[in-house]
Amino acid sequence: MSHQLPAILFLLPLFAAISMPVVCLKHRHWSRSISVAILAAMVLVSILNLHNVIHHGEVRYVFSGWTVPLGIEWVADGLASIILVLLSALGLLCVVFTGPTFPKALGGRIVHYYTLILLLVSALTGIVFTRDLFNLFVFLEVAAISSYALVGVAGGRALFAAFRYLVLGTLGASLYLLGVSYLYAVTGTLNMADMVDKLPLLLSSKALIGGLIFMFIGLGIKMALVPFHAWMPEAYTHAPESISPILASLVTKVALLAWIRIIYWVLIGPIVIFDIPILILVAVLGTLAAVIGAFLALAQRNIKMMFAYGGISHIGIILIGIGQGNQTGFAGGVFYLLNDAVMQAALFFLAGVAFCQYGVKTIDDLARIGKKSPWLTGSLVVMALGMIGLPPTGGFFGKWYIILGALEAGNYLSVAGVLLSTLLTLAYFVKLFEAIFRQSSTQLDDVQPGEIPLAFKLTLGITSTVIIILGLFSAPIVQLLLDHAMPPGL
Amino acid sequence: MVDALLAVLQRPNFLIFVIIFLWGFYIMMTRYNLVKKLIGMYLVQTSVIFFLVSISVKKGATVPVLLSTTEPVKAASYANPLPHVLTLTAIVVGVATLGVGLALCAAIYRKYGSLDEQEILERLE
Repeated sequence: MSHQLPAILFLLPLFAAISMPVVCLKHRHWSRSISVAILAAMVLVSILNLHNVIHHGEVRYVFSGWTVPLGIEWVADGLASIILVLLSALGLLCVVFTGPTFPKALGGRIVHYYTLILLLVSALTGIVFTRDLFNLFVFLEVAAISSYALVGVAGGRALFAAFRYLVLGTLGASLYLLGVSYLYAVTGTLNMADMVDKLPLLLSSKALIGGLIFMFIGLGIKMALVPFHAWMPEAYTHAPESISPILASLVTKVALLAWIRIIYWVLIGPIVIFDIPILILVAVLGTLAAVIGAFLALAQRNIKMMFAYGGISHIGIILIGIGQGNQTGFAGGVFYLLNDAVMQAALFFLAGVAFCQYGVKTIDDLARIGKKSPWLTGSLVVMALGMIGLPPTGGFFGKWYIILGALEAGNYLSVAGVLLSTLLTLAYFVKLFEAIFRQSSTQLDDVQPGEIPLAFKLTLGITSTVIIILGLFSAPIVQLLLDHAMPPGL
Repeated sequence: MVDALLAVLQRPNFLIFVIIFLWGFYIMMTRYNLVKKLIGMYLVQTSVIFFLVSISVKKGATVPVLLSTTEPVKAASYANPLPHVLTLTAIVVGVATLGVGLALCAAIYRKYGSLDEQEILERLE
């Protein structure tokens, strides 16, 4: 039974998504309860899977008995299992959060909405598990198509943002596929482990380098790395309140995970692009993204836009950790990825609650919240601590390990990048708090918000608690990553 | 320089791939009409599929169904089925993306009464 867990984890949301339009034909309102139940089951199964992987080693799953170089292989290793617990838990929270913020423009088409969310979760599960480069492409596209539809689902401005996302995202996917076909042409295989055996003879091949560049640009577009981030803030800002958290916390992070897989699980040899070792390139791109993203966030007035740019800068910080090429840096990067997924979800939950309850869209509206809402200001304080990286939260320890890794590698540019982006993050959160506690705007007191729904309290409370728990238990979690999630050769 | 040109002419399929890809990319980036953008996007996807098919051509080979079960299998006489399967999947993915894109275009047209990017942007301001 336990060796079937990866397939079960993928099939749970997929079957639920496919059967939902039929099951909920007469009773539309079942769809939310079914999604919550399926995702809760997925959380349980993923915890079981993690437990199983930690105690009995990684699970290799081969589809329909075709053995490795021929068939598609899925591997549930430590990294995939840890990410999957995070993925299913955040998916569950996002569906819980959806209840009171359900986009009104959808009217009765509630079933389609939950179908798309479950499809997105199952595709992301596939990306996390797969060890086949083409399989990865298919799941990237399934995830992308569901996110295009989910961004545009409420109509209005979001339609245009979704269209831009679609055009750029498809360009990214095409470039990725082009890279895969280059690699297939030179190695004759698509399986990652099989490719590792064939690469050492090809290190100087131009086709390999060309293919890798195409793949990295393609995935770079998907994860909103800095020169290719144009689609991301707009899509996340105009997407419905209930969709932004799942997109910001999961879709970009999982594309980043795919990049990590290719860099550390396929390119084990010393790969050099234009005379620069690939890891240095990753660290430099990360530094650029961390600093530029934070600068752009500082310039925003729309709070969702600000959080989206904050997410771009944090992708950069994760890449800095990944690019150091030592265990400390890698563990720090992955730990920061876990943190950042929770923090991004929390920030967009907060923006959603602020908009639904108080009509807050820009920084100037924030004064309406003031001291009236302890839930919002309280969780915002925790998230700010996490985003800036102050001690009781996970953000601090993530950055700490990343900086330790950079010092170990003697990479002082990266250290400077992390510190500068931390300062800029501090600056834009100071801007937010200054706006909240400004006293001058008393004329807005006529806003009479109702009681905050339970779902909002639950999501804000859980994410804030998790941000602190990740900080308090950072040592065992990083130890877990060091023991079970290290790539071969590190 | 001449050598490089001759080397390119040796493989016209790569040349055609580059032309279609850049053509689609150019349309995608410069046209303001949303449907034209989608056409450019589809050209980019098609060019990659064309590339995938053209690198997997094998002269004198047949479909990968065993001709006889008694003789030893000669790999050279069968085409590799994998790239073709990949191509089929990539085509399906492309069609799905195009479908979502056209649906978004239709919704944008219903909402703004125009498909011109600049006009829509003016209306959004």
